[in-house]
Amino acid sequence: MAGFNNKGVAICCGALLLVFSLAGNAQCLDCHGVEDDPAVARLSGAVHGKLPGDEENCIACHGTSDNHVDSLGDESPDVSFGPNWKSPAPDRAASCQSCHEGQNHRLWSGSAHEQENLACDDCHNAHQQADLATASHQAEQLCLGCHPRVRSELNLPSRHPIREGKTACTDCHDPHGSLGEASLKQLSVNDNCLSCHEDKRGPFLWEHTPATEDCSTCHRPHGSMHERLLTARSPALCQQCHAAAFHPSLPYGGEGLPGGAPSQYLLGKSCLNCHSQIHGSNHPSGARLIR
Amino acid sequence: MKRSIRLPFQLTAAASLVLSASHALTAEDEAYTPLALQLPGTAVLAAAGNRVELGLSHTSDDNFMFGQYNGLHENGVNLIGNLQWQDFSAEDSYWQVSLSDLGLDTREGLATWARPGRLKFRVGFDSQLQVRNDSGRTPFRGDDRLLLPDNWTSGLSTADWDQLPGSLHGFERELERDKLFAEIEASLNDHWSLDSHLSYESREGTGDIGGAIAPDRSAGDAVLLPLPVDYRTTELDLGLAYRGSALSVEGRVAYSDFDNKNEILTWQNPYSSFGPRVAYPSGTGGLGLAPDNDQRSARLTGVYVLSPYARLQFDGSYALNSQDQDYLEYSANGNLLAPESLPRANLDGEVAVTQFGGKLLLRPLPKLDLNGFYRYRERDYDVPRDGYRYIRGDGQNQPRAALTVYNSARDYESETLGGEASYRLPLRSRLRFEYAFEQIDRKNAAVDHTEEDRYTLGYRIQPWSQFSANIELLYGDRQADTYQWDQSYYALLDTELINATPDNQRYINHPELSQFFLSNREQQEVKLDLSYLPGANWNLALNLLWHEDDYDKSELGLTETDWQRLNLSASYAPGSDISLTVYGGFDRFESEQSSRAFRGGQEKDAFTIYPPLPQASDPGRNWDLDSKDDSFTLGAQLTWQASEALSLALDYSFVDTTAEQRLTTFDDGLVASDLPDVDTTLHHLEAVGSWVVREGLDLQLHYQYYRFKTDDWAREGVQTDTIGKLLTFGDRNANEQIHYVGASVTYHWQ
Repeated sequence: MAGFNNKGVAICCGALLLVFSLAGNAQCLDCHGVEDDPAVARLSGAVHGKLPGDEENCIACHGTSDNHVDSLGDESPDVSFGPNWKSPAPDRAASCQSCHEGQNHRLWSGSAHEQENLACDDCHNAHQQADLATASHQAEQLCLGCHPRVRSELNLPSRHPIREGKTACTDCHDPHGSLGEASLKQLSVNDNCLSCHEDKRGPFLWEHTPATEDCSTCHRPHGSMHERLLTARSPALCQQCHAAAFHPSLPYGGEGLPGGAPSQYLLGKSCLNCHSQIHGSNHPSGARLIR
Repeated sequence: MKRSIRLPFQLTAAASLVLSASHALTAEDEAYTPLALQLPGTAVLAAAGNRVELGLSHTSDDNFMFGQYNGLHENGVNLIGNLQWQDFSAEDSYWQVSLSDLGLDTREGLATWARPGRLKFRVGFDSQLQVRNDSGRTPFRGDDRLLLPDNWTSGLSTADWDQLPGSLHGFERELERDKLFAEIEASLNDHWSLDSHLSYESREGTGDIGGAIAPDRSAGDAVLLPLPVDYRTTELDLGLAYRGSALSVEGRVAYSDFDNKNEILTWQNPYSSFGPRVAYPSGTGGLGLAPDNDQRSARLTGVYVLSPYARLQFDGSYALNSQDQDYLEYSANGNLLAPESLPRANLDGEVAVTQFGGKLLLRPLPKLDLNGFYRYRERDYDVPRDGYRYIRGDGQNQPRAALTVYNSARDYESETLGGEASYRLPLRSRLRFEYAFEQIDRKNAAVDHTEEDRYTLGYRIQPWSQFSANIELLYGDRQADTYQWDQSYYALLDTELINATPDNQRYINHPELSQFFLSNREQQEVKLDLSYLPGANWNLALNLLWHEDDYDKSELGLTETDWQRLNLSASYAPGSDISLTVYGGFDRFESEQSSRAFRGGQEKDAFTIYPPLPQASDPGRNWDLDSKDDSFTLGAQLTWQASEALSLALDYSFVDTTAEQRLTTFDDGLVASDLPDVDTTLHHLEAVGSWVVREGLDLQLHYQYYRFKTDDWAREGVQTDTIGKLLTFGDRNANEQIHYVGASVTYHWQ
């Protein structure tokens, strides 16, 4: 009997909530008509207009907003995303997280963006099906607004196809929080790089230690003046770590250019003219990374 | 390297004082607002809804920089084709389909069906094309078995090859990625959800690679070769997530398989050096290509809410990378003698990569946030150690047993432990301090153990609603174990050879060289970010960075790097119909490195000084290289809704870079003059005009001007036969002037 009563109470409460919810929406649409409010009009063509239960369930995100209703719009809704009022960032984020925390946003608290007092709606627009953050061809514009140091690197001669939208900032970084460095999606730089460059994953019979430890020892992922996203030109780059007897220890200057004595250690692919397997070799004769 | 003026540092210090003084003022405790987000809109998002765009475009010339990634690398006409369709008419589900760049090799598509909050399916494809400098030529024919023309005339040097000019032919250096994928996400109930991703990607095309026939380190004949690429990658993962009141966690297992259709690239030796068995026509070189491999992994990510003021975050993964591709023979040249067989048929190696990150977040006081963090990364190799009687560069018979070389595991383990405290102060300011301790252990490396302390102090303030500043200072100090310069010698070589070598000559790199990623380092960094909104329509931003790595105990190798960056941006939006953003940046990266030119033999003794000075122990044989890379960026973006029917978007960027290399020698017999500067210049203008012909029908005109020029000395005046012992492609520097015009019609409907 007690169970029946509890179930009955639950059903009644649920029904009341549904009625209030519908009533709430009806009240919302009294003022925010589709024709009067473009934001509401867009919602009908977006995922958030198709949430299970009730169409255009405004209170799911904005709260019941009794004061807003009672004041006929003079006071803010419980949770407002602007432009007239803007609730504190944690409140706005909490509204979204009530549904989305179970996805890949569980590390949002303490993340770099949360620390900067950002909320979800600073990048996303819940009323639109497509927003800048999810449109890969333009998403970098959103990121660069706050990360201008990267902007110049993206235009350098050697770069990833970020301008073209073929690589997105979010392919490597997780704006919703990460426990890796630089908010990387993977826990290490190399795991990020190898998720697209599997040919360099190995393990190889002969490994090149810096390549297995940290790709950024030699490469600059956002862009570089030097080919292949390298941090420096070869042979200088290789000679930062190699000074063996004979040719690795020699300086290579302008006399090795055409007009002088053109040098195979300087021109072409420089050190990689011979040591071409710079990311590792699986050849039994590849100890010097030339096979 | 000359000491450059630390302008960013000085500015930061001055700004810090000003801000500290202003902090003494009191004000209401309001929430900090990131002003960078108040930039007027600079990007226009295509309207949602249904639309189809069709048109034609024309690219004025063949190119490889403008069209490096966008599929517009060929002179001619292309189709503009884009489609976006969605159907939200069903009660509880929707459809979306998008197709873009249909007329190009960079096309992509995505179809989605979903019941929001319950179930989602996505299938799609993504094609990418990367083109590289295709102005080079080669005499080689074939794909993975490269042969010379039948009438080839060999010689000791490229200058001797009479048939070379007539044999050269161009080839396209293009790499195409085509990916198919399918995804499913399902919400099982209020707490559990499931998702899975399957993808298949092919990478095909032609790259480039160097190959050498080299019987020893002092002699070799090299060629640049077209590299066939034919890769397949298949990936599958499955994730299960739980979301409760306190615990939210996701577990994921994944499998990735990489398959390279080519195992080896062989080429016919065009040179006549090193005897008839190695020389043209029968001499052959062979390069092993990327081996097939697979990865099985599992990852657990989650958060546990201990209380309203405490939560624990964790993210751990374990991946097993395996590789057991059958070995190639010691040499692709069947003329060479190799009586000693391979020690095994394949490596059958594995490396287990374990990673973990954990963070405990606490808020003991309303304005105080504390967190402690721990990161762990391990690469644990399971590879058999064997001796290989390797044939050096397909240029000699198998050497004697004493020259056997051994592979070795490169185990790696790093741990980072640290904590951060931040306290919110008046004037919307926050003071943050972070300390981290990192230790790294390596096996078979020149340095077994390094430890680093890193301190970060940050201060952020918004004294007025229109102005904010963020300053961050970092200091790091890395201490390395004694540099074991003979470690790589012991790990690689046979005991017979080691015992036959005097103690003081058991090294490969010079004993005074320290590899910078292993050596002592003092690191300093200053960042300053200022944002100012002088009016409702304006946004100004200044960003400065100075970063220095000082490898203070290194005599040879990289000894110092210095990075300075300055970025400015100004945005102006006088109304909702127009916005303008102008930005500029200057970036300077400088590095200092040293080395010592020396020969082997008795002169390798670095520790004995006796007349005449041997080269290895003679500091007079040192040389220095100072490098400086400058880049200057300037750009502007304009969006203008001129009328209800007409809109315009402009995006212009200018990039100018200069790379300098200055060499200094200290011995009259050591000659190395400065290398010429390498300059690149880019102008890129994109303009899109849109005219609403009638409701639902737009006409777009697209125009791009692209100008790129470089004078890289690596290509300037270098023909295929310029270098006696290296056959190059003789490719030219990029010097492109491209006009792209397009016209398209877009039809919209609901």
